[in-house]
Amino acid sequence: MKNSTAIEFRQVNKWFGKLHVLRDFSLKIDPGEVVVVCGPSGSGKSTLIRCVNRLEPIQSGEIIVLGESITQPGVNLSSLRARVGIVFQSFNLFPHMTALENIMLAPVKVRGLTRDEAEKTARALLERVGIPEKANNYPANLSGGQQQRVAIARALAMQPAIMLFDEPTSALDPEMINEVLDVMTDLAKEGMTMIVITHEMGFAKRVARRIVFMDEGQVIEEGGPDSFFDAPKFDRTRQFLSKILSH
Amino acid sequence: MKRMLAGLLSLAMVLSLSAPAFAETTLEKINRTGVLTIGTRTGSPPFAFVNKQNEWVGFSIDLVEQAIAPAISKKLGKPVKVEKKESTPATRIPLLASNAVDLIAGTMTDTRPRRESVDFTLTFFVTGAQFLVKKGSPIKGIQNIAGKRIAAQQGSTNERIIRERVPTAQLRVFPDQPGAFQALAQGQVDAYTNDGVQLAGLIAKAPNPADWHIVGDFYSYEPYGMAMRKNESDFRNLANNGLMEAIESGKYFELYDKWFGPKGEVPYPLTTENKRFMELQVVPK
Amino acid sequence: MRGRWRGVKYDFDWSVLWSGESGGWLLQGILTTLEISALAWLLAVALGILSGAMRTVPFAPLRAIATFYVEFFRNVPILVWMFFWYFGVPPLLPHAIRDWLFNHGAEFWAGMFALGVYHGARMSEVIRSGIQSIPKTQFEASMAMGLTVWQAYWLVIVPVALRLIVPPATNESLNLLKNSSVALTISVAELTFQTRQIETYTAKAIEALTAGTLIYLVLCVSIAIIMARIERRFAIPGLIARVGAG
Repeated sequence: MKNSTAIEFRQVNKWFGKLHVLRDFSLKIDPGEVVVVCGPSGSGKSTLIRCVNRLEPIQSGEIIVLGESITQPGVNLSSLRARVGIVFQSFNLFPHMTALENIMLAPVKVRGLTRDEAEKTARALLERVGIPEKANNYPANLSGGQQQRVAIARALAMQPAIMLFDEPTSALDPEMINEVLDVMTDLAKEGMTMIVITHEMGFAKRVARRIVFMDEGQVIEEGGPDSFFDAPKFDRTRQFLSKILSH
Repeated sequence: MKRMLAGLLSLAMVLSLSAPAFAETTLEKINRTGVLTIGTRTGSPPFAFVNKQNEWVGFSIDLVEQAIAPAISKKLGKPVKVEKKESTPATRIPLLASNAVDLIAGTMTDTRPRRESVDFTLTFFVTGAQFLVKKGSPIKGIQNIAGKRIAAQQGSTNERIIRERVPTAQLRVFPDQPGAFQALAQGQVDAYTNDGVQLAGLIAKAPNPADWHIVGDFYSYEPYGMAMRKNESDFRNLANNGLMEAIESGKYFELYDKWFGPKGEVPYPLTTENKRFMELQVVPK
Repeated sequence: MRGRWRGVKYDFDWSVLWSGESGGWLLQGILTTLEISALAWLLAVALGILSGAMRTVPFAPLRAIATFYVEFFRNVPILVWMFFWYFGVPPLLPHAIRDWLFNHGAEFWAGMFALGVYHGARMSEVIRSGIQSIPKTQFEASMAMGLTVWQAYWLVIVPVALRLIVPPATNESLNLLKNSSVALTISVAELTFQTRQIETYTAKAIEALTAGTLIYLVLCVSIAIIMARIERRFAIPGLIARVGAG
């Protein structure tokens, strides 16, 4: 029973000062499920996934990750974060380390792998994201798409059970978006539990099991890709979809 | 820092002054401007210091104003104003060389190496190096400073003598009097050596004069003179004549008593020997 | 070597700089200046990194301690700190230690601490601004990987910040070297002291001052060149330009 749910939000409330970002937010995500979260900017979607690995604290409610409540005091943040990988919009690679070193850092420092083990894993991951030849490049010498793929490899190096993606392609030039989405698609096929914030609706259609539309800190509508895109129930969803699909 | 800066500034001044082509003697300059500019100290009582009324006064300054300036004024047939600028051991020669001042009137010891850079007037004061110690100190003079920590003031000649005569003494050389005295008061050093009259000046100003002793025979000879640019015999003769007339007329001894007498700023009685020495410096008319 | 400028009555004699004991003194002065500056620099860098990093951590008491250190020490003139460490600190020490120190270069150590602690506070500001110019997301990315705050600073934030701050840190290092001359006020026989010493013995003030000026110039330019090399050696491709443009 313990692992029947990968992530569960229970009545989560979060404020930034007076701004109520998440309002009684509840959602359950099964293991192996890929959930795409979309919504207008300021709807709280970024905050939502940052709460999953406690980059943001919440004020009330509970979040359960892999059977463990992470909103209690005394949670081991290092081990939580090792099990929940996150990929940011702006890549956030460490500029003074090569691609390989970026990927090796956490396995060596947090999981305690030897450098040899970590390097072997790192090279395998670079292979997996399709840029093994860039191992010794510094981030500044990689394209945006390559940087984001390294960032994904870096998150995967911790062998997480859950991967969070915070608009992973919105800072990329159009011609690089697909190379990143392809990697994510492969990951989904391998059965990774994923929450993806994105406006790439093509990706959502192909890969997502569920799509959640958020606004003002609440779930407005959710459903499988077919029903969500073909027969949205709410006006707000329809308006939003017409805006992003016309782009 | 301030002093170093002053030094560098005067250096810059010297360099920038290298351009003008006029070569004016000091006397011509004084005649043109009506001003005699002296470089003097602000913290060397009673020779030159700023007193409680915030006036810049002292024995050396009096000698310039009451003996030397009148002699120049008489010769030029016009009044001569004395202007004072601060000079320190490190800046006094550059100040002279750059024409910023015409005469150093403070507590400068006349020495042979210095005579290679500047000329001196007659000796206007004679003293010698001694030691200032706390009451009860085992140090009684230069004979028992081996291995001891001795403070000295930079720019003084006595530090050099200690280096040569007692190389085992641990010298700590300070740029100014207050630092050296503080080090003595706190025990960083065992004694502070300087010209006897300077030490007397320090004691006179100390909160508890009875706590301090000046010990030892003079182990150096410190004749104070006033320095000027080299090879200016007209100016030098006038300055010397002024001093000689003051000694002859008794004015010099009057001033001595004003500053060093029992009621003076720094009591430092004139020995018969020194009185005779001053008189012997006066050459016949 | 004798010269004479028109308008300035002064006989130059540059040989005073190497004749007699002068050469030895200058060399001694250079060594002392380098020695006190190098030790003080290490102290300043250590204190600067520590307090500069502390001023950016998400923990108020640490920030307060570091802020107090920086504001207290950098806002009082270096000369006062020289006196503080030389005259103010020894009375707080046990008698035996004090006496031992006075016999073993107390002035050097006092000067070293004065310089190091003062410039540490100034270095702290340089490092803080370096750290703050690093996007906050770098810190978040580190935390998201499971690094501790300490690891995030030690492995990511500080190494990048150090590279960004090479130019202002060079400037600060040169200031430290030049400020080491203030130590002469507490009887440290460094370079400026020795040039004055030459003046005392030879009465050749201008030659001595010129020598001192030139030696400081050579030392400072050498340090600037070394730092520029370090900057190039450790430059992260594209990073400086990116931060500069941002």
